[in-house]
Amino acid sequence: MSAILKINGQEKTFEKGLPATLSELLDSLKIDAATVVAEIDGKIVEREDFAQTNLAEGQAIELIRFVGGG
Amino acid sequence: MTPHTFLELKNAVVGIAGLGGLGSNVAVALTRLRVGKLILVDFDQIEESNLNRQNYFADQVGQHKVDASLENLRRINPDAILEGRKVRLTPEKIPDIFKGAHVIAECFDRADQKQMIVETVLSKMKDVVIVSVSGLAGYGRSNEIITQRISDRLILVGDTVSGIGPGVPLTAPRVGIAAYHQANAIAEILINELHTKLAGSTT
Repeated sequence: MSAILKINGQEKTFEKGLPATLSELLDSLKIDAATVVAEIDGKIVEREDFAQTNLAEGQAIELIRFVGGG
Repeated sequence: MTPHTFLELKNAVVGIAGLGGLGSNVAVALTRLRVGKLILVDFDQIEESNLNRQNYFADQVGQHKVDASLENLRRINPDAILEGRKVRLTPEKIPDIFKGAHVIAECFDRADQKQMIVETVLSKMKDVVIVSVSGLAGYGRSNEIITQRISDRLILVGDTVSGIGPGVPLTAPRVGIAAYHQANAIAEILINELHTKLAGSTT
């Protein structure tokens, strides 16, 4: 069953259902968890909790990615 | 600037996490702006390779960046209230070291360190705004460096994609543009948003 998440303001449809956790979502997007700050519905999720954070249809997920240099 | 604006900045406290290409330049801008107090944090010493973009001088190579920054900033304003800390920031230390700060500038070099402090400030330091930078390597493309309001407490500067890598060096002009975006975002927050809070803290 397809499901939708709003990622960084854009709706993304998952044809085979949602990734179960935030970690799985990052894996599917090929994002290194060590360089991303995540918010779900405006609330920060700490990196150590990514693997235990379940996702639900319709959530707004903000993924702020960092690249090196300063 | 109106006298009112000066009053606000006099009571403002800004933390600067890292005194490299970003932090050393953000500190200069905020000192010239006469921000009330700066908390400057870096564990590192100046190397010759830093002089291509960081606000230090050849005769300061080998000094701690904190010490050299304090010296340079006091040459701009001898009365500046500056607190220097030579420590490596960790999630445990950040809330304590930046206690009292209204805004924190994330001025680290490594992506995972940027992640660490942004996550820590957003999860553990209520009411503190963090201004972070992602994507400033290379040269040219000045107008691709932008300031984005991600949320109430997070502002992100940079082009979001240009990381340091082979053939993509860090250069003074582009790092400087990002640093001044950061300082300008901080000025805007202090002047526009913290108006009531800063006026209220006058004693």
